[in-house]
Order: sequence, then structure tokens, then C-alpha cells
Amino acid sequence: MYPQPIERLVTELAKLPGIGRQTAQRLAFHVLRSEDADALALADAVREVKEKVGLCEACFNLAEGPRCVVCEDRRRDRSLICVVEQPADVIPIERTHEYRGLYHVLGGALSPIDGIDPEDLRIAELVDRVGADEVTEVVLATNPTTTGEATAHHVAELLRGRVTITRLASGLPVGADLEHADEVTLGRAFAGRQSVG
Amino acid sequence: MVVESVAVLDLRNLAACEVELGPGLNLLWGPNGAGKTNLLEAAYMALAGRSCRTRDDREAIAFGKPLARAEAVVAASGQRRSFLCSVSRSEGRRHLLDGSAASPESAALRPALAVFMPDRLALIKGPPAGRRSHLDGFCAALWPGRTETKRRYSRALAQRNALVGRIRAGAADPASLDTWDHELATAGVELIADRREAAELLAPAFEQVASDLGLAADASLRYRPRSTAADPASLAAELAERRDADLARGHTGWGPHLDELLLEAGGRSLRRYGSQGQQRAALLALLFAERRALLADGRPAPLMLLDDVASELDSEHRSLLVEHLVEGGGQALITATEPEQLPRSAQRHEVAIRAGRPLTAADRGRIRGGEAAA
Ligand SMILES: [Zn+2]
Repeated sequence: MYPQPIERLVTELAKLPGIGRQTAQRLAFHVLRSEDADALALADAVREVKEKVGLCEACFNLAEGPRCVVCEDRRRDRSLICVVEQPADVIPIERTHEYRGLYHVLGGALSPIDGIDPEDLRIAELVDRVGADEVTEVVLATNPTTTGEATAHHVAELLRGRVTITRLASGLPVGADLEHADEVTLGRAFAGRQSVG
Repeated sequence: MVVESVAVLDLRNLAACEVELGPGLNLLWGPNGAGKTNLLEAAYMALAGRSCRTRDDREAIAFGKPLARAEAVVAASGQRRSFLCSVSRSEGRRHLLDGSAASPESAALRPALAVFMPDRLALIKGPPAGRRSHLDGFCAALWPGRTETKRRYSRALAQRNALVGRIRAGAADPASLDTWDHELATAGVELIADRREAAELLAPAFEQVASDLGLAADASLRYRPRSTAADPASLAAELAERRDADLARGHTGWGPHLDELLLEAGGRSLRRYGSQGQQRAALLALLFAERRALLADGRPAPLMLLDDVASELDSEHRSLLVEHLVEGGGQALITATEPEQLPRSAQRHEVAIRAGRPLTAADRGRIRGGEAAA
């Protein structure tokens, strides 16, 4: 048994994904041995990210302040909304430089197995945005997985007849995550998106 | 693609031994209990990474030993590769290709496997699930690019069933079934089409081989899907119609996960009314039909692992069996109690097995020498 503060640090570190108890212990001792300034910088960074980074009140992308950088950018095309599952999915799309519209982050995908119903995602907020703003096209860029496809279909049905709805062209490997798709493939998928409703 | 040798350690009654195989027919012969079937199992395990006889691979470990091992050397386009499967009581199962963990893709580097063993008869006389998954396995061997369809269907089915359960528990909205009906139907229609195409490829060959093996002149193989929907929207509509029943039952009672691969003779189901002999012949006919379909598509012939296949056939049917086995090349491992169970005319490589050990040339020389002295 370690002194209580070390035990606490190990417990907290072990909550991180991919970190088992052994790794957590190794990291805890690394922190213990490191310079005070380095260790405190880590603690500060953790605090800052939680204090300063929240979700954009419009699109639910990560934001430092009430609105994210995409929503704040006046040059973006406000008639276009790209729907993704997670904030992390925005980054690879931005990297392609193919897309100049806005985003909407659902916060996951429909999955009855995991108890995730439409009400658990930011679908109602998307429908509101489409109704309120000058939106003409919604691009469904959920992952090409079973849950992602089902989510895309669900959203498409809700918006049918109100705006043009497109789905990213195939070319993304089936079952893959957007997050891990390379820029060229993703760029091509954007250029060739197809109307679904 | 040739399996050149199989080496075994402590697998059932086989201690440590290695058997060289010929490129065509290989006859493993010896008295009952000598270990012939265990050698077939070893070849299967080495290549597939699991046993074809048991769900718990540890059953294959010899009594009192910590682990069992089977290794097969496969030669293809000038390269030799080692497939090794080990099962340990403490650490479970490992499958290695040239010393590193074998991936699902490594199956392309070895022949496909077709197994005839008495316990495999469950495929013919058991419930439809076994035949469905066998047909899906054949689709996967024929069209590796389409394996995602089956997986996608299974995932959508699991999600829909979970949703049905949540609706029953009052935790979800029945209207949310629309989404999953659509998803299930999209994958379902593709799955039905793949299975139908596969069954149409198999049917003529099945009929001919079944007749050659004396099963019946009018044996047939037919895919019988529940739904005849031709597009996702129709299948989704069929699912929607049956929603109340699904909610009462607690799971999805319609779709290709309930389909049947129907094997018949004389217009009657071989599953229900076939004799033991007819069921054996039907299993063989199915394996040969698949072999022929793979060959017709330019694939390598599967490695045929046939346990005690000839004992119940008369000499005419044995000859026809051998004709089917050598047609188009490829390898077969066949067990028999006597070498005469395979027609003498057939070119083959013989391996005699006694008491858990294949006899080496030296063994045979010693036996002959001993007999001469006695
Ligand atoms: Zn935003």
C-alpha cells in the first residue's frame, strides 16, 4: 500500500482510457520523481482545459468561449451544416480544406445496446437550427458503421423535404471511424457526397 | 498450394510425430483408436487455429500434458509458411503464422478446409442455424469482399433486439424502430441476395454428386428465405407489419437470420426423414459441391479432411468418390481402417498409423524384418 496521495493519483490515472493499474502506478511514480514545475504544469493544464474549453452553444464542437472557431469565422458558408458524431470528427474534415460550411456535433450515435436513444443525442437542436437559420444543405458525416448509418438515416428522415440532405460518398472503408480516415479519402468523400433526401 | 507436412505434439492420443503429405490423395490408415481422426483434427487445428471437433479446444490436449500443438507447413508459389496452433491448459489458444499471431487475412495463404466427420452430421440433421452459418461461411470463402454484409446484418439485428427489449421495458419509443428496421433491411436484402446466388451455384453440383454417391437421383439443395423482398423498403415494411409480434416475443421474428438451406431427397427433408447413410451422403455432396464451385471460380481446391468416408459405400460409389476427389486437383486426407477401402487404382500417398504414432519407413522395415525372423 502506498501513501494515500499516491494511491489517489494512481486511482485517478487508472480511470483514463487504455491505462491499467500498472501503467497508472508507473506514471504516478514518474510524476513524483519529476521537477515540481513540470508536475504542476500538468496539473494546471488539466485544470485549464476543464475551465476554458466547453462546447459551442450553437454546434456543440469544442469551444474556448461560448462559440467555436468555426461558428465565429464569418467566412464560413452558413447555408451548409455537416453532421458528425464527436468533436474529434471535426478535425480530419477541417484538414481536408474541402469543406467551408458549419458543423453540428451529435455527441454520439444511436445504439439501443448502449441505451442511446434519439433524445440522448443533439438531434432536436439540429432540427431547430435547420428551421431557424438559412440552411439549405445538411451533410451527414456520421461514421460508416452500423450505428453511424442508422443515425444518418434517422436524421435524414427527420429533415426530409426541408433541406437537401447528402451523405458522404462511399470510399471510406466500411466500419471505419472518420477520426482515423486519411485526408485524401475524406476529401474525395466530401467532393462526391450524394443526395439521400 | 500444398500442405507438405503436419507435426503434432500431445494432441489427444498422438504424442510427438510428424507426417509428410503428398500433393493429392493421402490415405491415413490403421485400426480404430489408432489416432487417424486425431491427425485430421491436427491438420485442421494447425491451419484454422481451432478444433473442428469441440468448442473447448483444451479437450484436445493429451491427458496429463500441459499443452497440445499442431503445425502445418504450406507451400505456395515457391514459399513455405508455417501455420501453428497451440492450446495450453493455463493460457488458452494461440494461432501463429510464421511465428507471429495469425490474422483473419492469413486464411488466404492456406487452402480452404472442408471437413467430413461423424459429428459434422449435425450440419445436416441439426437445426437451420448450422446450415445458415455454413452457407455464410461458403459465401465468405467465395467472396471475401462481402463478409461485411453478414457482420453488418448481425450488428443491426443485435441493436434492433436490444431496442425491442427497451421498448418492452418502457425505456424507449416504439417509433425509434423505424431507424433499425431500415438498417436491418438494408443489410438483410444484401445478405439474402448473396445466399441465393451461392445456393444457385451449389445446387446443380449438389444434385449430381448426391446422385453419384447413391443418395438419391432427385436430391436437391435450395435456399429458402423467409422474406422474398427484393429491396430494403419492402423488407422494412414486412418488419414493420410484424412489430407487435416482435414486441410480444421480445426479439426479431422475421428476416434472414431465420432462413433455411433446405436439403431434400424424394421431396422430403433430409434433416427430418433422411437415413444416417443419406445424411452422410448429403454432407459429402455439400462439401463436394462447394469444392466444385470454388474451382469453377478459379480458387484453389479446398483441403478435404474426410474421416471414415468410404466404409459405408460400395465399390462403385467409392470409385465415384475418388473421381470427385481428384477432379481439378487439390489435396485430401482420408482415413480408413484398411488401405483397400480406397480403390487400388487411385494414386495416393499412404500413412499407416498404430497406437498414436504414424509408422516411419524404419518402423515398417523393422516390422517386416521381425516378421521374416519369426
Ligand atoms: Zn460552433
